[in-house]
Amino acid sequence: MEEFIQYLPNAFTWINLLTLVLGVIGGLILGATPGLSPTMAVALLVPFTFHMSSTTGLTLLGAVYTATVAGGAISAILINIPGAPANIATLLDGHPMAKQGKSQTALYLCFISSLVGGLFGMLLMILFTPPLAKIALKFGASELFWVAIFGITVMAGLSSGSIFKGLIGGMFGLLISTIGYSPILGTPRFVWHDVLTGGVAIIPALIGLFAIPQVFSLLEPVDERIKPVEFQPEKGILFKTIKENLKMVKALTIGSITGSIIGVIPGAGGQVAGLISYDQVRKMSPDPDSFGKGNPQGVVAAESANNAMVGPSLIPLLTLSVPGSPTAAVLLGGLLIHGLFPGPDLFTTHAEVTYTFIVTLVLAQVAMCVFGLILSRFSYSVMRVPNVEMAAIVTVLAVYGTYSVQNCYEDVIVMYALGTLMYLGRQVGFSPAPVVLGIILGVIAEDNYLKGRMIAETDVGIFNYFFTGSINIIIISLCVISVVYSVYGEIRSYRRTSLKGEE
Amino acid sequence: MKKDVMVSIICIATSIFLYYTLGWIDDERARSFPRVVIIIMGILSFMLLLQTMAVKKTKEKGKPLPWKRFLIMFVLVLVYLYFMETIGFYTSAFLFIVVVTLLFGQSGFSPVRILSRTVISAVFTGVIFVLFNVLLKVQTPTGLFF
Repeated sequence: MEEFIQYLPNAFTWINLLTLVLGVIGGLILGATPGLSPTMAVALLVPFTFHMSSTTGLTLLGAVYTATVAGGAISAILINIPGAPANIATLLDGHPMAKQGKSQTALYLCFISSLVGGLFGMLLMILFTPPLAKIALKFGASELFWVAIFGITVMAGLSSGSIFKGLIGGMFGLLISTIGYSPILGTPRFVWHDVLTGGVAIIPALIGLFAIPQVFSLLEPVDERIKPVEFQPEKGILFKTIKENLKMVKALTIGSITGSIIGVIPGAGGQVAGLISYDQVRKMSPDPDSFGKGNPQGVVAAESANNAMVGPSLIPLLTLSVPGSPTAAVLLGGLLIHGLFPGPDLFTTHAEVTYTFIVTLVLAQVAMCVFGLILSRFSYSVMRVPNVEMAAIVTVLAVYGTYSVQNCYEDVIVMYALGTLMYLGRQVGFSPAPVVLGIILGVIAEDNYLKGRMIAETDVGIFNYFFTGSINIIIISLCVISVVYSVYGEIRSYRRTSLKGEE
Repeated sequence: MKKDVMVSIICIATSIFLYYTLGWIDDERARSFPRVVIIIMGILSFMLLLQTMAVKKTKEKGKPLPWKRFLIMFVLVLVYLYFMETIGFYTSAFLFIVVVTLLFGQSGFSPVRILSRTVISAVFTGVIFVLFNVLLKVQTPTGLFF
């Protein structure tokens, strides 16, 4: 906390504040645009930040990350399509409110609850990240290896649908990470074409996996019947809404706490946070039947939860490089290209950049609320950008972004190939997030496995090195819990589908 | 569910093929990590197959893949990438956006539409140029034109 205050003034430079404001406005617009997911927006931005200083670059990424999560609510409320998966719970009551002509109130509620939840989450992150990073300082090769394995076990949670497909995707990602020269030994592996000599870099993979499938699906024939509800601006409801909102203490508290807890669990993400908190608030409400018909409490619960998730989802990311959500995984890519490796170093050697980043994330929450309230009036026009134009522009940005990082044409080919493959994979139920996580964690897992093996061979032996020691055992048990939990979930959903089949 | 049977068979075949190619890697230590991953991938694919066969038939969800649009776009991007280095980044990007928006847009080719698409494309390429080349001073492939 002292460090946080010490580095507080650093964030207030002109260039940072300008980047912050632009990032927040851009993020709100991107989030509100159906068809552009926040994860993809951040992925496309990562190469762009490569040419900035690390502080400015990370400010931009943090601002966009924060704002897209809130911006997604705009399209959820106005056209009943969640701008991001995190906003699924928002539309349950947000859209009915809009249909009743209360779209402005709904939008205001969204941004105010997002601010409350978001600040709560940030506070937790500031309090808990540095001490956890200190524990991570004690980690050697074996512990880091197990942390990577733990990250791999949560991959299943990142995918929607079949757990097996999530894990197969993750394994595929791990294999992609081994392409090129082996890190410690220098042996070439899976180099089937000259393009692959240098291995698959993280940026082409991120952009390819998240942006290209989106491009192809933007071109799919759309349902023309989707029409946004009319937006009638009302005067003087801002203060009324703020007052009303702050009275919903129960929904705000439940939302913020559930969101924060779910944020820390790697792989769960905002979608789950919003839905669980919505469900809790509905169950505890004296009038559960009014939910789904335009109850403002529902909007408050969902939005405070999905923004509360942002801060805590960075705790495992910054300390252990295990991202809490798909977008956090992309953000990790951004940290890596600025030479910032998650772990204790972030809070010692790179303390200045890291704390400035954290301060700007807090400022971004405030800016998101302020600009969200201002922009909600104009948000209507964002929904009208035609998909085809968007597809063409996203393609050019993807190509350009990939190329500009290393001025490398081969990267563009790799990006496009992975992206096309991912689009086809998505048609049969695979999702990009586990693959990306595999690519990131594969390097950590293999590096530490080989290092650990070398240490173990001269020391206590492989079994003793990897399987004894309290930290090792704690992380191994986390892995086991995570696997058991996934298997349990799969069995449950299997029972449900087979019951349906019998009916 | 038939689709999932296909998927799992493809995954199993890929695992077997990749396992075979492991022999091409010289060092045993460099082989060990990918080997474990491939074995796990094979097992998971097999479990997916078992699961698919065990679950009773449910309704096939999802829309069919719009193959025609996908293939046209796929080829268009390939052509764009092929010419990117020869005719220059901005010229190729400009042409790409014009062609894509005209081909996939809803109404036909009227002179007004062609003009409006050209303007949109020009504005967008201009914005990128200012952002990247002027503000951030990034090198782009120039090629023949620009």
